[in-house]
Amino acid sequence: MDTMAYIAFGFYTIICLGGALWAVTRRSLVRAFAGLVTSLLGVAGLYFLLAAPFIGLMQILIYVGAVAVLIFFAIVITGASREAQERITTTKKKRCLAVLAGLIPASFLAMAITKYSLVTNNTPPQVSMEDLGRALLGPYGLVFELISVVLFAAMAGAVLLGFKRRQ
Amino acid sequence: MNLFIMYQLVALGMLGLGLYGMLLRRRLIGMLIGVELMLNGAGLSIVTTAQLTPASAQLGQLGTLLVMGLAAAEATLVLAIVIVI
Repeated sequence: MDTMAYIAFGFYTIICLGGALWAVTRRSLVRAFAGLVTSLLGVAGLYFLLAAPFIGLMQILIYVGAVAVLIFFAIVITGASREAQERITTTKKKRCLAVLAGLIPASFLAMAITKYSLVTNNTPPQVSMEDLGRALLGPYGLVFELISVVLFAAMAGAVLLGFKRRQ
Repeated sequence: MNLFIMYQLVALGMLGLGLYGMLLRRRLIGMLIGVELMLNGAGLSIVTTAQLTPASAQLGQLGTLLVMGLAAAEATLVLAIVIVI
Protein backbone atom coordinates (compact mmCIF):
# COMPACT_ATOMS: atom_id res chain seq x y z
CA MET A 1 0.00 0.00 0.00
CA ASP A 2 2.89 2.30 0.77
CA THR A 3 4.49 1.81 -2.61
CA MET A 4 1.17 2.54 -4.27
CA ALA A 5 1.08 5.88 -2.47
CA TYR A 6 4.60 6.65 -3.65
CA ILE A 7 3.71 5.72 -7.22
CA ALA A 8 0.65 8.00 -7.07
CA PHE A 9 2.80 10.77 -5.61
CA GLY A 10 5.29 10.46 -8.44
CA PHE A 11 2.52 10.42 -11.02
CA TYR A 12 0.88 13.56 -9.67
CA THR A 13 4.24 15.26 -9.28
CA ILE A 14 5.03 14.63 -12.92
CA ILE A 15 1.61 16.01 -13.95
CA CYS A 16 2.09 19.02 -11.70
CA LEU A 17 5.59 20.04 -12.64
CA GLY A 18 5.30 18.91 -16.25
CA GLY A 19 2.17 20.99 -16.71
CA ALA A 20 3.81 23.96 -15.04
CA LEU A 21 6.87 23.62 -17.28
CA TRP A 22 4.62 23.39 -20.32
CA ALA A 23 2.72 26.47 -19.14
CA VAL A 24 5.79 28.65 -18.85
CA THR A 25 7.76 27.52 -21.89
CA ARG A 26 5.12 27.52 -24.65
CA ARG A 27 4.90 30.67 -26.70
CA SER A 28 1.25 30.25 -27.60
CA LEU A 29 -0.96 31.37 -24.73
CA VAL A 30 -3.61 28.74 -25.46
CA ARG A 31 -1.03 25.98 -25.08
CA ALA A 32 0.27 27.61 -21.91
CA PHE A 33 -3.32 27.61 -20.66
CA ALA A 34 -3.62 23.87 -21.32
CA GLY A 35 -0.44 23.34 -19.30
CA LEU A 36 -1.85 25.43 -16.46
CA VAL A 37 -5.03 23.33 -16.31
CA THR A 38 -2.96 20.12 -16.27
CA SER A 39 -0.88 21.48 -13.45
CA LEU A 40 -3.95 22.51 -11.45
CA LEU A 41 -5.40 19.01 -11.79
CA GLY A 42 -2.11 17.54 -10.61
CA VAL A 43 -2.24 19.73 -7.51
CA ALA A 44 -5.80 18.54 -6.90
CA GLY A 45 -4.51 14.96 -7.02
CA LEU A 46 -1.84 15.80 -4.46
CA TYR A 47 -4.55 17.26 -2.20
CA PHE A 48 -6.49 13.99 -2.43
CA LEU A 49 -3.30 12.12 -1.60
CA LEU A 50 -2.84 14.33 1.47
CA ALA A 51 -6.24 13.20 2.79
CA ALA A 52 -7.80 16.60 2.13
CA PRO A 53 -10.55 15.61 -0.32
CA PHE A 54 -12.62 18.73 0.28
CA ILE A 55 -9.73 20.98 -0.69
CA GLY A 56 -9.06 18.81 -3.72
CA LEU A 57 -12.66 19.14 -4.86
CA MET A 58 -12.56 22.88 -4.26
CA GLN A 59 -9.38 23.07 -6.28
CA ILE A 60 -11.12 21.43 -9.22
CA LEU A 61 -14.26 23.51 -8.74
CA ILE A 62 -12.69 26.94 -8.21
CA TYR A 63 -9.44 26.74 -10.14
CA VAL A 64 -10.22 24.44 -13.03
CA GLY A 65 -13.88 25.44 -13.14
CA ALA A 66 -13.78 29.18 -12.58
CA VAL A 67 -10.31 30.73 -12.71
CA ALA A 68 -9.19 28.72 -15.73
CA VAL A 69 -12.35 29.63 -17.63
CA LEU A 70 -11.78 33.30 -16.77
CA ILE A 71 -8.23 33.12 -18.09
CA PHE A 72 -9.44 31.44 -21.25
CA PHE A 73 -12.05 34.17 -21.73
CA ALA A 74 -9.31 36.76 -21.37
CA ILE A 75 -7.14 34.97 -23.93
CA VAL A 76 -9.97 34.69 -26.44
CA ILE A 77 -11.40 38.20 -25.95
CA THR A 78 -8.09 39.96 -26.38
CA GLY A 79 -7.29 37.88 -29.43
CA ALA A 80 -4.03 36.78 -27.92
CA SER A 81 -4.49 33.34 -29.44
CA ARG A 82 -4.22 34.73 -32.95
CA GLU A 83 -1.41 37.16 -32.32
CA ALA A 84 0.60 34.50 -30.59
CA GLN A 85 2.26 33.61 -33.84
CA GLU A 86 4.38 36.73 -33.76
CA ARG A 87 7.65 35.80 -32.28
CA ILE A 88 8.68 37.95 -29.40
CA THR A 89 12.42 37.85 -29.25
CA THR A 90 13.55 37.16 -25.75
CA THR A 91 17.22 37.69 -25.50
CA LYS A 92 19.39 35.05 -23.97
CA LYS A 93 20.38 37.40 -21.17
CA LYS A 94 16.79 38.01 -20.17
CA ARG A 95 16.08 34.29 -20.19
CA CYS A 96 19.09 33.61 -17.97
CA LEU A 97 18.01 36.31 -15.55
CA ALA A 98 14.49 34.87 -15.39
CA VAL A 99 15.87 31.40 -14.67
CA LEU A 100 18.04 32.84 -11.90
CA ALA A 101 15.12 34.80 -10.45
CA GLY A 102 13.04 31.66 -10.29
CA LEU A 103 15.82 29.41 -9.07
CA ILE A 104 17.35 31.49 -6.31
CA PRO A 105 14.30 31.94 -4.01
CA ALA A 106 13.20 28.35 -4.56
CA SER A 107 16.64 26.93 -3.80
CA PHE A 108 17.03 29.08 -0.68
CA LEU A 109 13.68 27.87 0.63
CA ALA A 110 14.56 24.28 -0.29
CA MET A 111 17.80 24.58 1.66
CA ALA A 112 15.93 25.94 4.67
CA ILE A 113 13.40 23.10 4.51
CA THR A 114 15.96 20.33 4.23
CA LYS A 115 18.23 21.80 6.88
CA TYR A 116 15.75 22.59 9.62
CA SER A 117 13.46 19.61 9.51
CA LEU A 118 10.22 19.70 11.44
CA VAL A 119 8.57 16.95 13.41
CA THR A 120 6.46 15.23 10.79
CA ASN A 121 4.04 12.35 10.73
CA ASN A 122 3.40 10.35 7.59
CA THR A 123 -0.28 9.75 8.30
CA PRO A 124 -2.28 12.93 7.72
CA PRO A 125 -5.33 13.47 9.97
CA GLN A 126 -8.83 13.40 8.55
CA VAL A 127 -10.73 16.64 8.88
CA SER A 128 -14.42 16.29 8.16
CA MET A 129 -16.31 18.86 6.17
CA GLU A 130 -18.50 19.52 9.19
CA ASP A 131 -15.47 20.57 11.24
CA LEU A 132 -14.35 22.91 8.48
CA GLY A 133 -17.77 24.52 8.29
CA ARG A 134 -17.99 24.94 12.05
CA ALA A 135 -14.52 26.50 12.15
CA LEU A 136 -15.41 28.86 9.33
CA LEU A 137 -18.53 30.07 11.09
CA GLY A 138 -17.12 29.92 14.63
CA PRO A 139 -13.57 31.00 15.46
CA TYR A 140 -12.69 32.13 11.94
CA GLY A 141 -15.89 33.98 11.19
CA LEU A 142 -14.16 37.31 10.67
CA VAL A 143 -11.93 35.81 7.97
CA PHE A 144 -14.99 34.42 6.24
CA GLU A 145 -16.63 37.85 6.21
CA LEU A 146 -13.45 39.53 5.01
CA ILE A 147 -13.03 37.17 2.06
CA SER A 148 -16.66 37.85 1.16
CA VAL A 149 -15.96 41.58 1.15
CA VAL A 150 -12.86 41.08 -1.00
CA LEU A 151 -14.76 38.96 -3.50
CA PHE A 152 -17.59 41.48 -3.62
CA ALA A 153 -15.18 44.36 -4.17
CA ALA A 154 -13.46 42.46 -6.98
CA MET A 155 -16.78 41.63 -8.61
CA ALA A 156 -18.06 45.21 -8.35
CA GLY A 157 -14.77 46.52 -9.72
CA ALA A 158 -14.91 44.15 -12.66
CA VAL A 159 -18.47 45.20 -13.50
CA LEU A 160 -17.52 48.85 -13.21
CA LEU A 161 -14.57 48.44 -15.54
CA GLY A 162 -16.79 46.58 -17.99
CA PHE A 163 -19.26 49.48 -18.06
CA LYS A 164 -16.44 51.94 -18.58
CA ARG A 165 -15.41 50.13 -21.69
CA ARG A 166 -18.89 50.10 -23.13
CA GLN A 167 -19.21 53.91 -22.99
CA MET B 1 14.08 12.45 2.76
CA ASN B 2 10.62 12.20 4.26
CA LEU B 3 7.27 12.80 2.68
CA PHE B 4 6.95 16.34 4.03
CA ILE B 5 10.11 17.51 2.28
CA MET B 6 9.08 15.86 -0.97
CA TYR B 7 5.74 17.68 -1.01
CA GLN B 8 7.42 20.96 -0.13
CA LEU B 9 9.90 20.51 -2.96
CA VAL B 10 7.02 20.07 -5.42
CA ALA B 11 5.49 23.29 -4.10
CA LEU B 12 8.82 25.07 -4.43
CA GLY B 13 9.17 23.81 -7.98
CA MET B 14 5.83 25.39 -8.81
CA LEU B 15 6.96 28.62 -7.18
CA GLY B 16 10.16 28.70 -9.22
CA LEU B 17 8.41 27.88 -12.49
CA GLY B 18 5.74 30.49 -11.81
CA LEU B 19 8.33 33.17 -11.12
CA TYR B 20 10.19 32.24 -14.29
CA GLY B 21 7.03 32.39 -16.37
CA MET B 22 5.89 35.64 -14.82
CA LEU B 23 9.16 37.37 -15.56
CA LEU B 24 9.51 36.07 -19.08
CA ARG B 25 6.02 36.72 -20.43
CA ARG B 26 5.21 40.10 -21.83
CA ARG B 27 1.44 39.85 -21.92
CA LEU B 28 -0.65 40.42 -18.81
CA ILE B 29 -2.44 37.09 -19.26
CA GLY B 30 0.83 35.21 -19.52
CA MET B 31 1.96 36.81 -16.29
CA LEU B 32 -1.37 35.87 -14.70
CA ILE B 33 -0.70 32.22 -15.58
CA GLY B 34 2.62 32.45 -13.75
CA VAL B 35 0.94 34.01 -10.71
CA GLU B 36 -1.65 31.23 -10.62
CA LEU B 37 1.13 28.65 -10.63
CA MET B 38 2.80 30.40 -7.69
CA LEU B 39 -0.46 30.61 -5.75
CA ASN B 40 -1.01 26.90 -6.32
CA GLY B 41 2.43 26.18 -4.96
CA ALA B 42 1.58 28.25 -1.89
CA GLY B 43 -1.66 26.35 -1.36
CA LEU B 44 0.06 23.00 -1.69
CA SER B 45 2.70 24.08 0.80
CA ILE B 46 0.09 25.22 3.33
CA VAL B 47 -1.95 22.02 3.10
CA THR B 48 1.20 19.88 3.35
CA THR B 49 2.34 21.70 6.47
CA ALA B 50 -1.10 21.42 8.01
CA GLN B 51 -1.53 17.72 7.26
CA LEU B 52 1.94 16.32 7.87
CA THR B 53 3.05 18.30 10.92
CA PRO B 54 1.36 18.66 14.32
CA ALA B 55 0.00 22.05 13.21
CA SER B 56 -3.78 22.48 13.11
CA ALA B 57 -5.11 20.67 10.06
CA GLN B 58 -8.31 22.69 10.06
CA LEU B 59 -6.52 26.01 9.94
CA GLY B 60 -4.33 24.94 7.04
CA GLN B 61 -7.22 23.72 4.94
CA LEU B 62 -9.17 26.91 5.60
CA GLY B 63 -6.10 28.96 4.70
CA THR B 64 -5.85 27.21 1.37
CA LEU B 65 -9.54 27.88 0.72
CA LEU B 66 -8.90 31.57 1.37
CA VAL B 67 -5.94 31.55 -1.02
CA MET B 68 -8.22 30.08 -3.67
CA GLY B 69 -10.79 32.81 -3.04
CA LEU B 70 -8.14 35.50 -3.38
CA ALA B 71 -6.90 33.93 -6.61
CA ALA B 72 -10.42 33.98 -8.00
CA ALA B 73 -10.84 37.65 -7.09
CA GLU B 74 -7.50 38.48 -8.66
CA ALA B 75 -8.31 36.62 -11.88
CA THR B 76 -11.63 38.49 -12.13
CA LEU B 77 -9.91 41.85 -11.83
CA VAL B 78 -7.21 40.95 -14.32
CA LEU B 79 -9.86 39.87 -16.82
CA ALA B 80 -11.65 43.21 -16.39
CA ILE B 81 -8.39 45.16 -16.77
CA VAL B 82 -7.42 43.19 -19.87
CA ILE B 83 -10.81 43.87 -21.46
CA VAL B 84 -10.58 47.60 -20.72
CA ILE B 85 -7.06 47.89 -22.07
